[in-house]
Amino acid sequence: MHEDSDELETLVDRELKRLPAPRAPQTLLPRVMAAVEAWAQRPWYTRAWFAWPLAWRIASLAPVALFVYAVWAWRVPAPPPTVVAASDASRAVWAALIEPFLPYIVLVVLLMGAICAAIGLALNYVLLERAEQR
Amino acid sequence: MTDAEPFEAFVRRYQDMVFATAVRLLGNVSDAEDAAQTVFLRAFERYSQLAGHPGAGGWLKTATRNVCFNHLSRYRARWKFFSELDASDGETYESTLESQVSRALGIEAADQHARLEQAIRNLPDHQRVPLVLFHFEELSYQQIADTMKVSLAKVKSDIHRGRETLRRLMTDDARR
Repeated sequence: MHEDSDELETLVDRELKRLPAPRAPQTLLPRVMAAVEAWAQRPWYTRAWFAWPLAWRIASLAPVALFVYAVWAWRVPAPPPTVVAASDASRAVWAALIEPFLPYIVLVVLLMGAICAAIGLALNYVLLERAEQR
Repeated sequence: MTDAEPFEAFVRRYQDMVFATAVRLLGNVSDAEDAAQTVFLRAFERYSQLAGHPGAGGWLKTATRNVCFNHLSRYRARWKFFSELDASDGETYESTLESQVSRALGIEAADQHARLEQAIRNLPDHQRVPLVLFHFEELSYQQIADTMKVSLAKVKSDIHRGRETLRRLMTDDARR
């Protein structure tokens, strides 16, 4: 049974390897190029962030950086006085539970961002390397 | 667009490989063209990394397989429905195939090859896909099981059944 199976594998493999590879139809190339042209004409903001123009990538990072800096430097704008008066309890909770940990929270968020970026780069590298080995 | 010309050369270089993989996995010319277009669009998005990279061919093969798997899982029900109808509209896989093969070989051999390709196409998805991955893409049984997320035993059994079908066809051809 096993020998028969091996024999069958060899026979089929030999016959299939003799088959000429199907060739792409002549319509494929113009079709792909038309799709690529249409894709390239898309506005930059509909593309992946990595494909944005450098200036816009930097510009999009600026608000995030500013926010992180503001939180880090305790420059979050103070709420209006009426809200302050009504939120003494929440301020107390903030001061007791969140405030002591804020630097660590910011640190964790930054670390997570860095780790995600590193994993993304590593995956990209590994996939291309694996493709190269095949 | 500055990348268009080198990318066109890139497509010319790899289109036969991508299309051959897709048409054998999907068993259908128009689906294979759709898959090939999707693969090349993905390649274009990262063309700056792929251009001139020795791993570009491997990347395209892997991308083609993934696109075909997605297609098969997404459109399986529809595909099965249409595959039961006799394809009589426009270009069929057989007509394309026979014309290609006939140019290169004698009529008789071309006929046999076309029948064999047709027989591969007629196999059910669960037999054709692992069989193509094993014999044309040269993946191991274990790699196929991992890729298709099925057991090793099922892969072996499906491939064996597919081979049996092809052997019957080849035996019939030999008797003629």
